[in-house]
Amino acid sequence: MRSSKIAFCLILLILASCGTDLAPSGTDRSQVQCGIPGPYVCQYAPDFTLLDTSGTSVTLSTALTSASGAVIYFTMWCPVCDADMMDMRDAIMPSYPNVAFFVVDYVSGSAAAARDAQVKYGYAGSGFVVLADTNQHVLNLYNATMGTTVVIDRNGVVKMNEEYKSTKLQSVLAGLP
Amino acid sequence: MMICAALLWGAASFFAPMAWAGSCCGGGAAAALILPKLAQSMIDTSFDIEKYDGYWTKGGKYKLDDPGTDLRQYRLNMGYALRLAKRWQASVAVPYVWNVNKYSGLSSRTNGLGDAALNLWYEAFDTNMCRLGWGDISLSDLVPAATFGLSLTIPTGVSPYDDVHSSFDITGRGFYRLDANMLLDKTVYPLSASLFLSYGKHFERPVNEEYGHYITPYYKNLGDRAVGTLAISYESLLDFSTSRERITYTAAFSEIWEGEGTINGVRDNTSGLLKSSGAGTVAWSTLERNWVVKLTWNHSINKDGWGRNTVASDIYSLGVTHAFE
Repeated sequence: MRSSKIAFCLILLILASCGTDLAPSGTDRSQVQCGIPGPYVCQYAPDFTLLDTSGTSVTLSTALTSASGAVIYFTMWCPVCDADMMDMRDAIMPSYPNVAFFVVDYVSGSAAAARDAQVKYGYAGSGFVVLADTNQHVLNLYNATMGTTVVIDRNGVVKMNEEYKSTKLQSVLAGLP
Repeated sequence: MMICAALLWGAASFFAPMAWAGSCCGGGAAAALILPKLAQSMIDTSFDIEKYDGYWTKGGKYKLDDPGTDLRQYRLNMGYALRLAKRWQASVAVPYVWNVNKYSGLSSRTNGLGDAALNLWYEAFDTNMCRLGWGDISLSDLVPAATFGLSLTIPTGVSPYDDVHSSFDITGRGFYRLDANMLLDKTVYPLSASLFLSYGKHFERPVNEEYGHYITPYYKNLGDRAVGTLAISYESLLDFSTSRERITYTAAFSEIWEGEGTINGVRDNTSGLLKSSGAGTVAWSTLERNWVVKLTWNHSINKDGWGRNTVASDIYSLGVTHAFE
């Protein structure tokens, strides 16, 4: 019985030591070097060209010449992505008609498959321009993953690069020049 | 009492393994072990194969995955339970998780420790609460055995707030959670019914890192979580066995609900979930009940309205339990 209790305590100790973030920190370590090309806040957004789901070539820098900014959302058509995109479509897009809203599909493998997903999941005609990142080039360029939301102003400066948060996105868009 | 123990085992296998977290949005859940009354300790191992099969939107509409998609999570669950006193017991459970995801244009294989669970249980009964048949039964004979517990989920898994670079690497949710649990169980041989209810609160935490890069810090919390499971079991002796081994068949229905979380104290209306699922278990046990082998199939109800903002899945689980008296 005593050895069982010792074994139980040992398991607890092992658990306590193997976690990667058992005591999460709130320290601000977000400083990056500004004014250089890069994917993070205050850096110059890397330019890219991708096909959209209608087969049209879309270049970020060109899109920014006719918009007050761009929002790029990375999707894999999952429930988290769907909740984020619905919130963006319903609560944010109507207030920012001059901002370009891009959705980067990095899992479908082709513009045609991305088009099928866009229609199937209910985002045809939604106002999002869905881009097919067939080899995950843009995903890697922005160190992005599912739900990553990037905001870029008309000067090409990154204003946000993190998980989707409705209130944060609204405040960043409201602060665009 | 031993019959109760076996049926309880069969039912208990449903409670925590109603795993709901997809590899795209969270990790594997550890099991909540419950020690039979006469046992002093117990080890429990199971292997789960969870195959994702579409998802429900926030509005409850079910969506199928694309044809080229094959998303799975494999979990090896290891648990140990220990009797602390006549009515008190504790247990620990840890899953090891493999995420295997295949899309038309992308494949990924990762693995790591999932979120662990520590459980403390109090048994509000001392004597045999089972009956061996329906003859001369009175109302007092129908009083169930009640067990109350606390479970603490520890974020030992890899979460989006750790130093990882992809959502495919996620094996845990990154939050502590404390659940209050209640299990009511009644056996009138050969039938048994059990009801498990649980309500849990996550602990708010600071976040300064997402997927390996630092961001402006904020505070995040997940919503409260409630689980309800109703299980009915039937036990039979193996006719061809001379050692009086038994087979227990269990059917269960479970609902998991999680409320909306907060970011910096403001409600996050993209969060929250609901999932309904049914399960069936066949369990083989020895006469002494010191060995139990369980095979479980858990199936979410893949129709509109039976889930919200989470993945649908099938879970196949094979488990072995050994108790020491």
